[in-house]
Amino acid sequence: MKIEGSWKLAAPRETVFRQLMDPRFLARSLPGCEKLDPLPDGSYQATLKIGVGAMKGTYQGRVEIVDALPPESFRIKVEGKGAGGFVKGEGKISLTAENGETLLNYTGEAQVGGVIASVGQRMIQAAARQIVDQFFAAFSRTLLPSPASSTPSGGAGSPAS
Amino acid sequence: MIPEPFEYHAPHSLAEATRLASELGEQAKLLAGGHSLLPMMKLRLAAPRHVIDLGHLQELRYIREAEEKIEIGALATHFQIESSALLNEKCPLLADTAREIGDPQVRNRGTLGGSLAHADPAGDWPAAMLALDAELQAVSAQGERWIAARDFFVGLMSTALAPGEILATIRVPTLPARSGDAYFKFRHPASGFAVVGAAVRVKLSEAGHIEQVAIGVTGVGAKAYRAADVERELVGKSPTARRLVEAAAHAADGVEPNADLFASAEYRHHLAAVYVRQALERALEKARA
Amino acid sequence: MSVKLLGERIKRKEDPRLIQGRGHYVDDLPLCNMLYLAFVRSPHAHAQIKSIQLEEARKMPGVGAIYTGKDLDGRLGLIPCAAGIEGLKIPDHPCLALGRVRYVGEPVAVVVANNRYQAADAAAKVEVDYNALPAVVDMDRAVAPSSPLVHESLGDNMAFVAKLEGGDWKAVEADASVKVLKQRLVNQRLAPLSMETRGVVASYSPGEDTLTVWSSTQIPHLLKTQLAVMTGTDEARVRVIAPEVGGAFGSKLNVYAEEGVACFVSRQFGQPVKWIESRRENLMATIHGRDQIDDLEIYYRPDGKVVGLKCRILADLGAYHQLLTPAIPTLTALMILGSYNIPAVFVETKGLFTNKMATDAYRGAGRPEATYIIERVMDLVALELKLDPVEIRLKNFPPPGKDIVLATGVSYDTDNYQKTLKKVLTLSSYKKLRREQARLRKKGKYLGIGLSTYVEICAMGPSSRMPAGGWESGTVRVEPTGKVTVLSGTSPHGQGEETSFAQIVAEELGVPYDDVTVYHGDTNQVPMGIGTFGSRTTAVGGTAIYLATQRIKRKMARLAAHKLGVKPGEMVFRDGKVEREDGSKSMKFAEVVGEAYFAKQLPSGVEPGLVENFVFEPPNYTYPFGAHVAVVEVDGETGEVSLRNYYAVDDCGRILNPMLVDGQIHGGLAQGIGQALWEEHVYDENGQLLTGTLMDCAVPKAHQLCWFETANTETRTPVNPLGVKGVGEAGTIGSTPAIVNAVIDALQPFGARHLDMPLKPEKVWRILKQGPAQAA
Repeated sequence: MKIEGSWKLAAPRETVFRQLMDPRFLARSLPGCEKLDPLPDGSYQATLKIGVGAMKGTYQGRVEIVDALPPESFRIKVEGKGAGGFVKGEGKISLTAENGETLLNYTGEAQVGGVIASVGQRMIQAAARQIVDQFFAAFSRTLLPSPASSTPSGGAGSPAS
Repeated sequence: MIPEPFEYHAPHSLAEATRLASELGEQAKLLAGGHSLLPMMKLRLAAPRHVIDLGHLQELRYIREAEEKIEIGALATHFQIESSALLNEKCPLLADTAREIGDPQVRNRGTLGGSLAHADPAGDWPAAMLALDAELQAVSAQGERWIAARDFFVGLMSTALAPGEILATIRVPTLPARSGDAYFKFRHPASGFAVVGAAVRVKLSEAGHIEQVAIGVTGVGAKAYRAADVERELVGKSPTARRLVEAAAHAADGVEPNADLFASAEYRHHLAAVYVRQALERALEKARA
Repeated sequence: MSVKLLGERIKRKEDPRLIQGRGHYVDDLPLCNMLYLAFVRSPHAHAQIKSIQLEEARKMPGVGAIYTGKDLDGRLGLIPCAAGIEGLKIPDHPCLALGRVRYVGEPVAVVVANNRYQAADAAAKVEVDYNALPAVVDMDRAVAPSSPLVHESLGDNMAFVAKLEGGDWKAVEADASVKVLKQRLVNQRLAPLSMETRGVVASYSPGEDTLTVWSSTQIPHLLKTQLAVMTGTDEARVRVIAPEVGGAFGSKLNVYAEEGVACFVSRQFGQPVKWIESRRENLMATIHGRDQIDDLEIYYRPDGKVVGLKCRILADLGAYHQLLTPAIPTLTALMILGSYNIPAVFVETKGLFTNKMATDAYRGAGRPEATYIIERVMDLVALELKLDPVEIRLKNFPPPGKDIVLATGVSYDTDNYQKTLKKVLTLSSYKKLRREQARLRKKGKYLGIGLSTYVEICAMGPSSRMPAGGWESGTVRVEPTGKVTVLSGTSPHGQGEETSFAQIVAEELGVPYDDVTVYHGDTNQVPMGIGTFGSRTTAVGGTAIYLATQRIKRKMARLAAHKLGVKPGEMVFRDGKVEREDGSKSMKFAEVVGEAYFAKQLPSGVEPGLVENFVFEPPNYTYPFGAHVAVVEVDGETGEVSLRNYYAVDDCGRILNPMLVDGQIHGGLAQGIGQALWEEHVYDENGQLLTGTLMDCAVPKAHQLCWFETANTETRTPVNPLGVKGVGEAGTIGSTPAIVNAVIDALQPFGARHLDMPLKPEKVWRILKQGPAQAA
């Protein structure tokens, strides 16, 4: 499954990059984040209670940030599993400065297995999009006091199929 | 296909149900007809600690006329709606939509409120609710509030209902004079869900122009929506065949269509235009009759 | 005169109990101290099992034991494969995965608990740590040298390569007028999806040292032998019972891991053990059907005569062999020429391992693929030469009634393809349909008319060509009261042979139909048997019963003649009497039975009692045939295909009960149409099963179908004395190509040549979207 999209964030690129690297901000932004502990190798161990509607499950996993090029881009690797199955993904996030604000582009590839893959194919793409949107909405609230100032950038703020 | 263990509650009044819902908050799920929640629980994709079974709330099973409107209890089954003489006469869109849902077994168990609260992106009811500008009453231990249909559907399987709130009543306007409605649906061959569903209510002026038109579309995006661009193209205009085709082409404008094994985004986009146009044609035909 | 029973529409003996919910399936069986199983299954298509943690699961309430592959290694035998193909690679197939998992749904561990809820809860607590490996999913890639391997020890993903070549290819190559057409056809993977999922109860009694197994199976006797071997039990102490079985379509013609594990666990605990498959498990871990890619080269002359056919088959076998997995695609090769006398043939079949559930017999098993190929071939050539599909078929049929050995080496028992074709053309008013089609096309409406003139191979079969014997056993016992008990080694599971077998016996013995009771499915009751599959039950099993009945008649005639002082050869059986043709000397049936049991005045050398067994060995397969016409409408806006009419003329030999034949045809048509239009079982590129529930896995439903107009011709087979050929699979085999041919026909204004199944609306819409063909 491919996930891609973009968000406009009302903060300078450096701030956005710094906060994306900061586990405290990430923990506050990740939907259903119950735990985000740094590991000695620089990755994080995470527990997320994640899902859509009544379909929620707890996933244990690892998040790793690699190839960080401040303040331009980094890659993120995610691996998790729970009762609903497993998710494995890798994505690239790049930041472009735009008049003191930041345009964030993300693109990634996720592999989903287990029950969610075999029963949820009709919704999985939309669910992924919704969860990513939730993350960025929450993350943009950590950037500024006013949550209204950050919005998905039009139709681009969603995964392509 | 066996759910995780859960605590089962069977309140006998709405007051008792709201008290339970408020006490248990996010740990609880409400059970109505059970056609969506139970399969998810059996697949262990949903594992609520508590299930509050609303099945005993006879007080939410009514369909009644109230002034210019019709009120439907959230636990009215699809079959009740399909077979209601009142709805068939005064709000046929609901009866027509109910007829398109699943099969007789599903319609005998499934409820309007349960389906709306679940907000499946391919559910049938949201389209009709949007086309009718329905109002939805949420009741909680703290009181009640009315939510407009267009504010109710928030996202994929997500609604404006807060934890502790119970959808109790659905209120829809009766069909005015010179009006018609229709629900057209492309059924998924396996699930019977809407690959695309278009619900239309249209009112003609005495001169035969479109005075009001409301179009709800389900199955296309992550949530049901009003095809506002199509409506805009039509209001105040004479509904010629060509205009309908041109307007309906905007049925999925601004929406990122779902894609799955059965239908790509492009095909869904196309189907939306076809089904919106067909529903419009039928609704207009009824309005003229 | 006796009441005529054979050929009549007799209502099914089975139905009153089944319709009223009074039948008993495996899950209806209550036994004291029953334990329940839940399997932990792989979520990965291909992975190494790094570790399995059982501590949490063991602490769960009600858990008796948890076993993994290591616990069973050496203590429970491997899952058997009975297919015999030269050079076939058979990988070890343990009941629980050992070290590596190779498809999503493969059992990794089993939890034994006091009830099914506790078992499921504990299974959810079993933690398996996997190291995911690249999966083999796509067949074209599986054959590449760079492909990951499903079984590393086997060196490649090729389970076997089989070649079938026949006829005079030199003559084909020498003929300058011959043209060649190439086409790839994909025959998608399907889920058999019986209404009742699989299920097993195993009950080992330590005192008696006996193992009784109730299983939802098509082959109780074969299962008994295999389970005895797998569990190391003396076969004489194993009893298998197939109770009511709610459909199978070939999927229960197998020996499954769960059956072996249930027997093992029951032996460990000395308690009965139950496992009932969930629908989700059914979709991922019960065998699948079809899944072939067929690359064709069609050699034809300008007059429409097809002179040669080459086909390279890639058959997706899945990760392991189940009972007959590799044998299925070889049937495709055997039947690839269908009802046509094509003088040269070449088929190369490659059976490939992939990281998916095994494929195996699914209604038709290899022959629907063959029929699909050859019936599409006929239409492709017709299209190329602008011939009517009827014309091309007539051109390539062999002349009726001549014994012909086809280039494949197959010789059919009977044929008269012209006759069924003619009949279906009349039934469907074919010419009128063509005129209507032309009229509608002018109005921008797309009607499609599709033909299929199939021949199939069934009544499996002669033992020389069957992996585990192809005979069948029938026993007839006239009880002292005159009631008749019939025991069959077949194992019907919906087909209705309790009815047709009773018809045969009652008519032969001249006793009331209600006096005959048919039993099957219990290995302690029925002395021997093979089972129900390959449209064999009536043709082979019914014949065995018929012949056992002849033995009973000979004995009774002898007893009556002895008493009456006439010759045994003079005796006839009618109206509850055994008498001379002219009625001059007569005994009541019950009186003759009394002679046998009271044994006061038996002729010398005659044993008391009235029980006879016959094991029938068929000399050949049978080859039913038929002609179908499908009429479809294609929605010009959405591409949705709807079925308007369906006409089927089938020749399944002599018809014993037209209602049963209709039932088989109707159900078969639904399944064949389902494959053409809706069904596909889909794995993604990582080997994840995407159609894991009935939300996505589209089974045909009544409202999607139309009224079926059915008719028959009756050409009796010489292969058995009943003259019956078998009809269980005919509808499925004949209908799929008829539908596809009809849709392609409807799309002629758009220049369509071929679309792969299922013909989902979007695929058709993409053709419509291209607009009208220039040259058409």
